[in-house]
Parts: sequence; C-alpha cells; structure tokens
Amino acid sequence: MIRYKTYYLPITLLAVAVCASASSAQAPVTETALTVNKKLVKLFGIGGFKGLPSYGSGILVSKQGHILTVNNHILINPGILVHLYDGRQYQAKVIAREPELDVALLKIDEEVDFLPHYNFDEQAARPIGENGDWILAMSNQFKIALRDEPMSVSKGIVAAVADLRGRRGVFDAPYAGDVYFLDIVVCNPGAAGGALVNLKGNLLGLIGRELKDSRLDTWINYAVPIQAQANVLIEGKPGTVTMAHFVKKGMEGTYKESDKIAKVDAGGYHGITLVVEATRSAPPYVEEVVPGSPADKAGLRPDDLILYVEGFSVPTIKVFRETLKLYAPDSEIRVQYQRGNKLENVKIKLTKHPKLQASN
Amino acid sequence: MWRNGCILAALVIGLTGSGARSQEDLNSVLEKMMKDAARKAGPSVVQIETVGGADLVVAGPKGQIFRKALGATTGVVVSEDGYIITSAFNFINNPPTILVRVHGKTDTPLKAERVATDKSRMLTLIKVDAKGLPVAPYVPKKAIKEGQWTIALGRSLDAKVGPTPTMAIGVVSAIGRIWGKAIQTDAKVSPENYGGPIVDIEGRMQGIIVPLSPRGGEDDVTAGIEWYHSGIGFAVPMEDVLAVLPRMKLGKDLQKGLLGVAMKSQDMYSALPEIGTVLKGSPAEKAGLKPGDVILEVENQSVVSMAQVQHILGVKYEGDKIQVKYKRGKDTLEIKSLELSGKNVTIAQAFLGILPMRDDPSLGVEIRQVFAGSPADKAGLKVGDRILKFGLDEKNLTEFTGEKRGRSQFLDWLNTLAPGYDVKLAVKRKGAGQLETVSATLADMPGSLPGAPGTILDKLPEVASFKKALAPLELNNPNIKNPKIVEAKVPEPETGLLELNTPDGEHKYVLWVYPEYDPNIAHSMIVWLHPPGKGSKEDLDAWADLWDEHCRRNHIILCMPVENQDGWQPSYSDYVVAAARETMKTYTIDNQRVIAHGIGTGGQMALHLAFNHRDLFRGALATGATASQIKDNIASQRLSFLLYGGDLDPLNKSIAESRTRLAERRYPAFYREMKDRGREYLTAKNIEEALRWLETLDQQ
Repeated sequence: MIRYKTYYLPITLLAVAVCASASSAQAPVTETALTVNKKLVKLFGIGGFKGLPSYGSGILVSKQGHILTVNNHILINPGILVHLYDGRQYQAKVIAREPELDVALLKIDEEVDFLPHYNFDEQAARPIGENGDWILAMSNQFKIALRDEPMSVSKGIVAAVADLRGRRGVFDAPYAGDVYFLDIVVCNPGAAGGALVNLKGNLLGLIGRELKDSRLDTWINYAVPIQAQANVLIEGKPGTVTMAHFVKKGMEGTYKESDKIAKVDAGGYHGITLVVEATRSAPPYVEEVVPGSPADKAGLRPDDLILYVEGFSVPTIKVFRETLKLYAPDSEIRVQYQRGNKLENVKIKLTKHPKLQASN
Repeated sequence: MWRNGCILAALVIGLTGSGARSQEDLNSVLEKMMKDAARKAGPSVVQIETVGGADLVVAGPKGQIFRKALGATTGVVVSEDGYIITSAFNFINNPPTILVRVHGKTDTPLKAERVATDKSRMLTLIKVDAKGLPVAPYVPKKAIKEGQWTIALGRSLDAKVGPTPTMAIGVVSAIGRIWGKAIQTDAKVSPENYGGPIVDIEGRMQGIIVPLSPRGGEDDVTAGIEWYHSGIGFAVPMEDVLAVLPRMKLGKDLQKGLLGVAMKSQDMYSALPEIGTVLKGSPAEKAGLKPGDVILEVENQSVVSMAQVQHILGVKYEGDKIQVKYKRGKDTLEIKSLELSGKNVTIAQAFLGILPMRDDPSLGVEIRQVFAGSPADKAGLKVGDRILKFGLDEKNLTEFTGEKRGRSQFLDWLNTLAPGYDVKLAVKRKGAGQLETVSATLADMPGSLPGAPGTILDKLPEVASFKKALAPLELNNPNIKNPKIVEAKVPEPETGLLELNTPDGEHKYVLWVYPEYDPNIAHSMIVWLHPPGKGSKEDLDAWADLWDEHCRRNHIILCMPVENQDGWQPSYSDYVVAAARETMKTYTIDNQRVIAHGIGTGGQMALHLAFNHRDLFRGALATGATASQIKDNIASQRLSFLLYGGDLDPLNKSIAESRTRLAERRYPAFYREMKDRGREYLTAKNIEEALRWLETLDQQ
C-alpha cells in the first residue's frame, strides 16, 4: 500500500483547503480544525535513521508547554525542536516516558505561558468512543507543514474500537489494549503523536505509528485512546497506569517509568506439547499432554486442535505461544478446541512452571 | 432512498439559526444514521476464522508477496438456516477447519463446511448447523446508483463480535464494473472486510466485498488485492448473489460461462469481433461457429467490438444459454440458444513428436529430430524424413502450398487438432526417396500434464537449419505469387553490444548480437527483464556473457530493455514489446522462439508479458516468480513456461504450485528446484537446460 500512501497527500491537502475556504455550511469542521490546530505542535528530531522519519506531531497538554506524543525513535536524540501553531520555535526535552502506553511527555525548555492546550484530565474523563464516530485526524504527516503552517486535517470515522494486540504479535505491539481503528489512511510518516478529535474538537486519541497488521498483511491506521490504561510492574509490584495519570505525574515531575516486563518465558504453565511447527502457519494441534498438568486436568488430549484462548483466535502455533505468555501463573483461561468434528470448551488453571517451582 | 431524503429535508427545514449550526446537526444526524445502519446489518455480518491449510504465497504484479491472511475474516448470512456467503479469498489455502462466530453468541463458535465457490465472482458459500440466523434486507441492483452512501462492514478486527461491525464509509463510485459483475466503492476495503457487505444508509445489503481485478484470470482470487485501501474496492451486488444462491446450495462450483473462441485481433475495443480460433469441443464449435465469422449480436444486443461481447458474457455462468447472431461471408446467421460451458474446454496442444528443420524453403517439413516414445516415434518416422502431405483421411490429404514455410503450414493445421486425433502423413523417406503413408495418434504436449513433471530433451541434434532463411520459398502452384519472406530483414546489420532507442525515442534497450550473426539463420530471441537497478550497459553486458557461448552455438539474440525507475510494472509492457518488434524488423528471428526472461520482479514481468502479448511471445523463462494471473490457453498462440525456484526462496512452494496451475490449463510448463539457493540466478547447468527448452519451442 505504500505506493498509495503518497496519493493521500494531495487529498489531505485538499481537505485543508476545503476547510479553510468553505462556506458557513462547513463551519463546524473548519472552526474545530482551527481551534485544535492551535493545540498541536510539529516536532523535529535530529536526523532519521533506517529510513524512519525524523519528525513527528504532538499535543499541548499544559499552558507551560507540556507536550504529549508517541514514545518513538525521534525522541532518542536529546534536542527536539518544537514548532508552535503561530510559528514560534523552541527546544524541548523528554521528561517522562511510559513504553507500555507508548507515550512520552516533553517540556519546552523556555518559560512560556498561556499556550492553548487540552486539559487532559477533563478530556480523559469522557467515555471512550465507538464504531462509526465521525472524527478528524490532525497531524504533520509527511512534514508538510513548517512553523506557522497548519497541521493536515483528514476526516473519517472510527472503523472499530478493538484490541491492537490481536493485529500484531505480542512482542511487536507497542501498546496492547483497545485502540481506535480508522477508516482513512492516517498513520503516515510523521503523523504519530497527532490528534484524533471528534467534530466538536474533543480529544479522542493519539495517532499511532506506522504499523503493519502481521495477520492480514495490511497497514494499520489507528490512534491510542486517551482513556488508555496498561497493566505494568512498578518497582516489582503489579499495577495499572492510565494515560491521564501519566500526564499528571509527568507534569509534576514525579512519574516513575514502569519496569521493563520480561515477556520472554512469561506466562503460566499448561502442560501442552504442540506438534512440530512445520510451516509458519501450522495450526496448534496438541501432540502430548503432560500427565497431571493443568491441561491434563482440564481434559485436553493429543490431536485436539486449539482454536481460541479467552476468545482470541489462535490460528497458529506461534500465535498460541505468544498469547499464552500473557497469562500469568494462577490465572484461569478459557480454551476452545476441536476434537474430531466437535467443538469443546474448557477452563485451564495455569500454574508455575514445574522447573521454576523446584528451584523456588 | 427517498425516505432519507425526506428526513434530511425535514431536518433542514426544521432548523433555525445559522448555517453552521444546521450543518452541525446534519452531521450528527448523518453520523447517527450510519451507525444505525451498521448496527442494523450487524447481526447478519459474521466472523469467520479458518485454521490450517496451505501456507500460500502469491506474488502480485509488482512482485509483492502476499500471504494467506491469518486473521479472522467476514461473511454475511444469506438464509436463516445457516448459509453464509463470503469472499473466496478467505479460502485461498483450503483450510480444513472453518469456524463462524455470530454476534451475541461468541462463546459458541459454529463449525462450518464449504458448500460451493462461485469462480466467476470469487464468492464462497459456507454452511453452519444453525436455525434462525438473522438475514438483512438487500437493495435491488437497479436502485444502486453512483454517489450513494456505502458503508463497508467487516468482522476481522473485532475479537468480541460486537453489535456494530467494523465500519468504513464511502460512496458508490461506479456500477457494472469488472465486465458487469461488480459495484465499485471508495470505502476502504481490504482483508479486514473481504467477504463482508457494503450496506446503504438504511443498513440494507448492497453487495459482498471481494478483491477483483478486470485483468484477473479465472481462479485468481488474489487479483485486485493490491488495491486494498486504495479507494478502489469492489462488491458483487447482493441481487446477483441471491440469484445464484440456489445453484450454489446444490454444492456445485460455478464457473464463468465461456463461448470458446479467441478473437482474430488483439484489439478488443476498435476491431470488429471476428473469430480467430474456435476451441476444440467448445460451445462455439458445437454451435457451428468458425474462424472468420464476425459476431453481430449477443443476447439481442448488437456489438461491434470484443469488449462489448465481453461485457455481455462477463456476467454469464456455465450452463447459461445465449443468443448469437453472426456474419459469415455475405450471410447473416443466428444461433438461438448456445449453452456456455465452464473452463473444461481447455485441452492440451496436440503433439506429433518432431522437431522440424529450420530455414527450409522446400515444400514440406523435414524431420530434424524424433522424440523418443512420441506418436512420431511409434509411427516409425525417422530423422531426415520429409512430410509432404497431411490430413485425417488417407484418401484426401492436403499438400503444402509454399504460401508460407512448410513447418508453419503444418503447425497451423496441428493447432486445429487435439490430442487423440488420428492423423495420416505422406512421408518421403530419407535417402531412398519412396513415399509412404503413416498413421499417428496425437499426444499431449510434453509438460502439459498437471500430475507429471514433464521432461525436457536432454540432447539436441547438432544441425538445426538449412541456412536458407532469405531464400524464396518453393511453390506448389506456379500461379500463386511468391510470398514475402517475413523473417528476412537486413542483409548485413550491425552486430555486437548495441545501445538503441525504441522508435518513439523514449526508451533505451541494449542488444547483444554475436559477431558471426548470419541473417540466413532464424534466431531465437531472449527478451531479458533485468533486476531493478541492474540496467546499466555494464550490467547487461555481464549478464549477456553468461549466455554468450550459447548465443553463438545456438543462434540466439539477446534483447535487453532498460528500466531505470522503480522496477518493472505491467504498464511498461509497451516499450518492451516495441524493442522486441524493432529487433525482429532488423534481424532474422524465429517467431516460434521468442521468450521473455527475468528473475524476481523481472520474472513476474516476463510472465505478464507472455500472457498479455501472446502474438509475440512463445514462452517465459522465470526465476523466483509465480504465475498469478493465468489466462486461457489458446491453440494458435502457443506458450510454454519454464520456472525455476530456489529451495531457500519463500516463494518456492508457490512457484511449484503455479507450474501445476499452468499445466491444469494445459500449458506446457516445467518447474525445476534449485538446491541450496534463494532467489538467485540460474547456474550454468540450469542455463543449459533452459537452452534446450528454448531450442524445442518449435517442436510439433
């Protein structure tokens, strides 16, 4: 699709032009776009690498110049250049990050005051949107705007509110919860960190990265809802962090980044040995069940074909393995499988891995 | 639609205040209507999960790799007792397990069985054991108009199968697309919603979303997927789906209805629809249509081009009956009811089992080689024998005329026959000179059996040519005028590595003509589609070096069009063809041995060229490329394929499969695996084999 992406550029520009020159009949969208534009910034990192863009978009969340954006590669370099809607240019620094939410908070280096911004707490208190909501996506995709030039506006709808993890391998998904999938091409270079708003200008989400759906081989256009939350470990203890909490604590300068969760070898023990993974899409047929293991107790037998885990389809061995890593010891998982021509439903209570238990 | 119009009109009239305010309300009303529509249709939009099946990889026209999607796909309930229609794309890999989840009942996936596939519209019907499934109303075809809202619905993203499916909004961009089969929409379609519906603003089904391409061959379920999210999407009108439902429920796959003719002209838009070839055993043959007949009317609509014929036939299925009016000479004739067939008319090319001597101005065909075990071998034909007469009835044999070269006249005749025919040949034996009549039963062309790999001759006879390509042909009847010898061009053209421009001056190509070139010998021509970025003179020279020894010994000219942009694309065909034709004007080229050749995207391009410029190419030699858009075999335009795949190339399996699919269409097709290699060029040994394949393209 990459080659089509570029074709969207003129369409998007057109959208801006229409908004700017439209008669009063278009006014609500125009007004919204103009208002939101003031709360958005263009970000410039220093040089790109591996063909990744060195620019992005961000959202002002305080009058002093706190900027929420995606925790992506352009923040690797210390000096980030910020262009405001009115053309002013500042240096900014990253002051907090939360990889599990895939967000970062920047602060403009200089003393600035009275910048137009979103009150994040207020916005995040609104309920999450739904399929079919009309939206505007605003970002500096393709670095088309500099200084006081306005962000590009695209109009579309929320295609679905659904799990991003389901579209990607567990390890690839930067954020593993529900996201807004969009029916327009939005996730272009530089769009990440831009704003998804409704027609009234309320903030819905943060435009995501350029990602490919590893199951369908299509590009994903998505935004992370501002109500997003993630399960994390903080100093060894499990907890939950919301984006609003991150923004609040980040601005106070007291946000503690969550522990890096070792996803490898995570997940409880089930006792199922699968058939040899002959091809990339080999389905998860049970080869053996360890006697006395949780799977054995649940009644799984060789040759059963596992279909769903907690309602998520596991069409391949790889997906099954990755999915199981999300469920810790002592959690109970619902598994649907096929035996012969019949579908069966069981619950498996995972345990600690026998080897780990022994060493404990 | 008028109802919506009223609602909107009422709303506008009812509103007071500024225009901005009314627009805001209009927006929110429209937003709500669209959500309601999706929610209304939602229950009959189901999620389909497939498990297992082949790990299929297909290369698109640009050489992209498409995997069978692993995620869930979408289907639409078409009857309450469990029939669900979906896109055939979802079943491309023959999955043994099919599961369906319905909104509100996600805890109990339903096992589904495949019932039938509509291979014309790329739809598959599946059945679950259930009662009382919700069926959404549909919009009649005639009520679907350009510019109306379309909401594309899918279930792929939605693990929960919620009340509202995934939505994408657009309008009807066109109707009657893909030869009358599809509605076009600009709503975002992709594997995320293939098999799902497009619905109108009231939630009524307009059609079923499928990847389609006007250039797609039959069985090519991936044609059109390169257009995902591009603003060009297709859906089969629901009315058409429902019309064929009773036939699909019987469990029989539906095939596109075929007439069984090939047109004389390649130009389907401005040339009259004059029949060039009538396929053996086809409905056209049974109905008495003959080459030279000009079609005047189909289904009581007058036609002046093949495109118009195709628009009428495009929507027809196997078994449908059509009316045809045609002109033969001065007579206008009519077939009231001609029953179209499926694709089963494809038959292999007939094979006698000889290689003819080339550049032979004498009457008849002199035998250069007899294939071991072939019909010719069994009939006792020997090297050096000369075929002087041929036919099906011993008492009424045809003589060679000298109006064209003997082997060409003989080939034209063979092309009208099929394997299994008993032929009689009057043969003048080598040396002794007596005339004998022998019988032979024609066989299938080697390599055209799907189950057997097919062998390529392992040794070529030394002498190939009488070296009289420029000599006037011997005539049987002194009253006929001597024909122009089309193969002979310029007596002493330039040789060496030549940098040239196509006649329009726009595109470069490079020729390698070995210095000892003799215009009295007909040459093979290899059109090389170089890999991306390998089009410099030095690169092409280096590649030509690999073939040079063979060029000299076996008389081959290398034609190398240069592409300096972003890799071969189908739209570049024209200048490749122009370069090849220009070469044929200057040098003596055997039109039976012109092939396209490439690796990776170049290989893909070679296959594309072979299928789409059949008047020029007789074969494609490709490495690391798959045949994804296979067209019907036409006897008068022979095509042979030699495909190489490295065992380390992820495409390898698909390459092997595409050989089978070619052979199923009864093309002579060969596949060879290269051990311990990825997508790499041929080894010296492979080149020798490819050479023997090239050298036998004029076999008869």
